[in-house]
Amino acid sequence: MFHHTPLRLITLAALLIGLFAATLTAGYFGLEILAEIMVLAMLVIALDLVAGFGGMVSLAHGALLGFGAYAYAMMTGSLGWSAAPAMVAAILATGAVSWVVGAICAGSHGIYFIMVTLAFGQMAYSFAFESPYFGGDDGLGGITRPDLSAIGVDLNDSMSFALYALVCLIVAYLFAARVLQSGLGRALVGVRENEQRMRALGQITWRTKAHAFGLSGLITGLAGVVSAQHVMFISPGLMSWTVSGEALVVVILGGLGTLVGPIVGAVAFVLIKHEVSAITAYWHLVVGVILIAVVMSRANGIFGFVETQLAKRKKAPVPEAKPAPLPKGETRDA
Amino acid sequence: MLEVNNLDKSFGAIHVTCDVSLRVEKGERRVILGPNGAGKTTLFNQLVGEIRPDKGSIRLDGHDVTALDVPARARAGLSRSYQKNTLCDGLTCRENLSLAAATHTGAIRSLFRDPMTDPAVREIVAETAVLVHLAPYLDHRVSEVSYGIRRQLEVGVALATRPKVVLMDEPTSGIGPEMSHAFHAMLNGLPRDLTLVIIEHDMDLAFDVADSITVLNYGQVVFDGAPEAARGSTLLHDIYLGSWEDA
Repeated sequence: MFHHTPLRLITLAALLIGLFAATLTAGYFGLEILAEIMVLAMLVIALDLVAGFGGMVSLAHGALLGFGAYAYAMMTGSLGWSAAPAMVAAILATGAVSWVVGAICAGSHGIYFIMVTLAFGQMAYSFAFESPYFGGDDGLGGITRPDLSAIGVDLNDSMSFALYALVCLIVAYLFAARVLQSGLGRALVGVRENEQRMRALGQITWRTKAHAFGLSGLITGLAGVVSAQHVMFISPGLMSWTVSGEALVVVILGGLGTLVGPIVGAVAFVLIKHEVSAITAYWHLVVGVILIAVVMSRANGIFGFVETQLAKRKKAPVPEAKPAPLPKGETRDA
Repeated sequence: MLEVNNLDKSFGAIHVTCDVSLRVEKGERRVILGPNGAGKTTLFNQLVGEIRPDKGSIRLDGHDVTALDVPARARAGLSRSYQKNTLCDGLTCRENLSLAAATHTGAIRSLFRDPMTDPAVREIVAETAVLVHLAPYLDHRVSEVSYGIRRQLEVGVALATRPKVVLMDEPTSGIGPEMSHAFHAMLNGLPRDLTLVIIEHDMDLAFDVADSITVLNYGQVVFDGAPEAARGSTLLHDIYLGSWEDA
């Protein structure tokens, strides 16, 4: 179950301070990379919530991210809403859609669950790709960023936007951590571990899964909105299943079911991508080799590896198993 | 407390539960015995709600629960332990008990409170740990502790939902005769107002724990009465003890 261990808090603090310091010192290109890291980190936090803690490996999260981005783009564009209500509405709408997807998928398990979420994702992708209302394969441009001039912040400035994205990431993390330390979050881990038992205890497990999916959808929606605001242009490619696949790679790279690990993964992934692609166009090969190495090492990702190594050191021995004590006067016959 | 009336179930041509009626009083410890294939597990699955009976009704504390599914029956106060450990292996014993206790108190449905730190949940966990002798193992993962401890936890999880009736499916299955008696002593140490229905094929448990015994054979109730009467019954000797002594 999720707890804020000292290691997690230290790692989290280091990550946030690092990202903050990098934002203050980076040039234009660096700030673009940082905003990309924040968006990916939000997405993988959302994915870890369902995949790591709920055992629900979702290939629909790319489409949900795209849904949030499209919803924001449509509301601020065609509907002419201002940014703040559009953000709230886009996030809530993504959560609602995600809840429905989760509720429908809750009855399937393992590979079938993956396939059903993939089908949802691809349906959304095809729809966005074909539909003229959403710009089809040309996508939608001219997406506006929120106007924070009232508090003296210009989000069209790259550094301000990266800081804004960092604040959104912190909100997303705190929200996910809160959910995981609630009754719902505990029940979710129980369902991942043994759904049959949770039902026998009296829990309505499909509902636990749907709620978790819906809450994960809220975070995914936020990631989608910030992504749309960042690039100021969206295309159906955002909804492609490869986005979900990449997010899953990042979660596994960082440490499935650790919440902090995936953020480490997001930082590592984006940095590897940009550093390696500067040297060779085959950066996917490098990521692939690293992923294989991480999985083959049987550690739970980069952060998971550190965590298990530390846990091994301070593990208390299990008390020797003794038969339960007998009442007075009875003897134990062989 | 638990009342079964004219329960009937067939799988195709095989009649596995034939007009079974039972009445278990509050605080009673009832052991259901029978040779392999007697229909004990099928009866059990109908009681917990995993299989729907073709005919008949099941009443819990005066309420008809026949139409309820597994979680709803559990919430109505019908708890169960499994013959094969069905636990959260990756979690600690404390977490397993907490999930059960929090389901009972409702903390599991909260979006704001953490059941793991909830005082009501912690109290139930602490009490249950004492009842099933798990206190030293609470912070160890299920995957680390021995099989016997897991069997105790299996019962503990069933108790932590504070049920009215606990149905146990062969609680001593696989732990060996040495540990069985201690396990029976543990069962005897449970609060007297708790109603227990225990499915067993082991005669010893019946005599250690039972207030009364029901014997099933070919899906029918062939004996219903006190353990002492079961000992002397020639009918039982023929269908059950006979085969048991020959083996």
